[in-house]
Amino acid sequence: MESPRKQRWRQLQSLFEPGLRRMLVISALLHLLLPTLYNASFLFKSDPVKPPVYRVNLVNKPVKNPQAGRPEAVRVTKPRPKPKPKVKPKPLPPKPKPVKPIPPKPKPKAEPVKPKPAPKVKSKPKPEPKPSVSKAQEDIRMAAMEKFRAKIDKEKAKKAIQDRFADLKAAVSAENQQLESPITDAPPGSVTGKGDKVGIEAIETIRTTIKSNWRYSQYLSSNRNPEAEFRLKYNSGGKLVDYTAIKLSGISAFDESLKRAILKSKDLGQTLPESVDINVIFNLKEMLDQR
Amino acid sequence: MNKIKFSLFFIVLCLLFSTPALAVKIEISAPGEQTIPLAITRLLPIEEPLQGLAEEFQQVLEADLDLSGLFAQVDPAAFLDDAAKLTLLSTMVDFAQWRMLGAEAVIKGGYRLQGEKLTIELRLYDVISRRLLTGRRYIGKMNDVRKIAHAFADQVLLGLTDELGPFSSRIAYISKRTGHKELYLMDVDGYKPQRLTDHRTIVLNPDFSPTRKEITFTSYKAGNPDLYRKEIYTGRESRLSLKQGLNIGGRYSPDGREVALTLSKDKNSELYLIGTDGTIHKRLTNHYGIDVDPSWSPEGTRIAFVSDRRGNPNVFIVDVHSLEVERLTFAGKYNATPAWSPKGKRIAFARLADRKFDIFSINADGSDERQLTFGAGSKEHPRWSPDGRFLVYSLDRDGEKSIWVMRADGTGARRISAAGAADSHPAWSGRW
Amino acid sequence: MQKFNITRLLVMLFVLTLFAAGCAKKPVADDAAVTEQPTEVAVIEQQPAAVVEQQVDEAAAARRAAKAAASAAKRAANNLVRVYFDFDQYTLTASAKDQLMSNAMLLKSAPAVKIQIEGHCDERGSDEYNLALGEKRALATKNYLVSLGISANRMSVISYGEEVPLDSANTEAAWAKNRRAEFKAQR
Repeated sequence: MESPRKQRWRQLQSLFEPGLRRMLVISALLHLLLPTLYNASFLFKSDPVKPPVYRVNLVNKPVKNPQAGRPEAVRVTKPRPKPKPKVKPKPLPPKPKPVKPIPPKPKPKAEPVKPKPAPKVKSKPKPEPKPSVSKAQEDIRMAAMEKFRAKIDKEKAKKAIQDRFADLKAAVSAENQQLESPITDAPPGSVTGKGDKVGIEAIETIRTTIKSNWRYSQYLSSNRNPEAEFRLKYNSGGKLVDYTAIKLSGISAFDESLKRAILKSKDLGQTLPESVDINVIFNLKEMLDQR
Repeated sequence: MNKIKFSLFFIVLCLLFSTPALAVKIEISAPGEQTIPLAITRLLPIEEPLQGLAEEFQQVLEADLDLSGLFAQVDPAAFLDDAAKLTLLSTMVDFAQWRMLGAEAVIKGGYRLQGEKLTIELRLYDVISRRLLTGRRYIGKMNDVRKIAHAFADQVLLGLTDELGPFSSRIAYISKRTGHKELYLMDVDGYKPQRLTDHRTIVLNPDFSPTRKEITFTSYKAGNPDLYRKEIYTGRESRLSLKQGLNIGGRYSPDGREVALTLSKDKNSELYLIGTDGTIHKRLTNHYGIDVDPSWSPEGTRIAFVSDRRGNPNVFIVDVHSLEVERLTFAGKYNATPAWSPKGKRIAFARLADRKFDIFSINADGSDERQLTFGAGSKEHPRWSPDGRFLVYSLDRDGEKSIWVMRADGTGARRISAAGAADSHPAWSGRW
Repeated sequence: MQKFNITRLLVMLFVLTLFAAGCAKKPVADDAAVTEQPTEVAVIEQQPAAVVEQQVDEAAAARRAAKAAASAAKRAANNLVRVYFDFDQYTLTASAKDQLMSNAMLLKSAPAVKIQIEGHCDERGSDEYNLALGEKRALATKNYLVSLGISANRMSVISYGEEVPLDSANTEAAWAKNRRAEFKAQR
């Protein structure tokens, strides 16, 4: 005799159609598929981030060397000799303000109207005269440079330079070695350099670091609204583990500048509370009005 | 019963999985800095050092790259020992040094003179990704140094922006240094001015052929303002249009097959299209007002021009095929000399306001008008560089007429014509 | 039954497609290989032909002869007065019409004299626009003289735009002087 359970199964089977079991299995598989696909970030893409949201961490600025100030981090670095690249004087004539177009005044002159000799259109904000850029500024720069060079010469010419170079070399190698924190789970520090446990948002750190490392000129491309998205993985040590381009703008000057910014942000210089997996969208929305 | 349990387990599992994972997404909507830090090292001798060569090269290259507005030059005083090493392979460059200095790109190079033959090797390296972006070897003569510097400046822009720079093109202009207005040609930095005509009357308004080394201009040589064409290298010259009355403002179409110009053979100035043989192909305007100053759209389908058909001089656009005319500028009482960007989007023009002209630009659809120049003096006759990045124009200040170059947004203006001479009406050639 | 099987097949196909897509490699930022070997560019010096200066002499003799013949006519034309215009205008003012009236008188008394009417502008404004404007001024002047009974084929017009100012100063007074129509005797 068959067990009542089996009998019921038969009944069910006869009620529905014969392939029920297979159907159930497929259904289960399909359900399994959904979360898998979701996690593969394929379906259900979260809607595109629209206007930029500015998050400013007013209390804690991310610091470059979080361990500074912690007693166990004494050995860290001697103040790095950082030759600040002097930036050339940029000719900065007044920003042209968009002129408000006066509404159309179709003035069909039926009769020869006597016009004023000089049309007095009191026009536009009148900014100061354009700096006659090159000559004066160039001269000043040249003079300054000359002085600077002379000074260097006067000071112990060769020795000083060699010393400085040795310093720099040390700094370079130090950077290459990437000093490890003596304490593995050392909490991040604060601006004051005194180890502070108040959390710095990992994401804000990443954002600030990448942004400050990103160099892109508005003159590089006539396309004013490029956008690209990268996926970055940082480990808890603040090191970039992996990066992938999810969407490129197709403007190679723009995409290359992003890769450079990311590579320059390989090391955040501070630990993160945990490893971070982050999608970064790059665009020029903030600069749109400036041109 | 087992199977049901199994299914239930599955369902629970699914539910667990489908809780949304924390997707972190941030947006960075402006770069930290808008210039690329670039280190330009001095040319180094591959064999014998030569006096002055590296300095001249450096000066030309720096001026070009500075005009581009793309770069912040790393102060050469801070350079370390890699700058003094001739490294023409990316594997030999000490990129860590350059990175310390904050440079993202570095230019290195060397030269060699063998008899008459000057060879200059140049490299543009990406400091961050430690690779070669652009490598060039130029072979020329001793007096080609400036030309090579301009050519490499073009390549640097190509390497970093995918678009060649305009620095090895030429600028034609009108100068009165002999006492008469004559046609001249110079480099984009004002170097090597060279007189092309000797008409000893009045020569006006040059324009370059986009396809040939040829310039068109108007001259009173034969007692009437006729349109001439002149081959630059052969010096051959001929009259292209000599109708009764005005034959002025000749502008080659982008394909170089036709010339748009103003003729007044019927006692009123109208725009026409003529072939390069001088025959009239088409009349573009038909209005009792003044129609002058044509400027082609880069596709060659529309022409911006100046007309007083609505009272004051304003910029209009005529469709070459349909001959429909639409008005572009509405503000101001006197708008003139339109120049359509080779990139198509914007049209530069000069507007009279407050007793002087200033240069403006506007989208071809009439939106987003901006004033580009300010300050004393009249700025007129804007013309675009072939890449649309720069504008050249003439400035009349304190009785002195000079030629200036600026970026398309009005920044970085600098004088390129020599002091003293009365220079005006620049026209920028295509790629040379 | 048949229908169910087809539906199932379709679902399976869909799922398989998804899987296939999911497994496909995501675009990875790849660095394009740049060859170390530089491209060679030879600077080709195309020798531009120097400006050839030529003495143009043939017209000189003819001109001298013409001068003598024209001197009488010129004297007559010299008495023709200039007329002035307002800014960006080519219509004749009342005073200009008065002056043209007296010019017409002179021309009638010397019927052999042919004249060229030159239109001029002040230096403000686009050159080409001014060339067109100068021509309109010259034509307006000519037309008025025709209406006063001077034969049209005694008069030709030319525009010099802003190219030949009487006074090159940058003042209102100078500009007013430059906006004019002039009369030159022709042989």
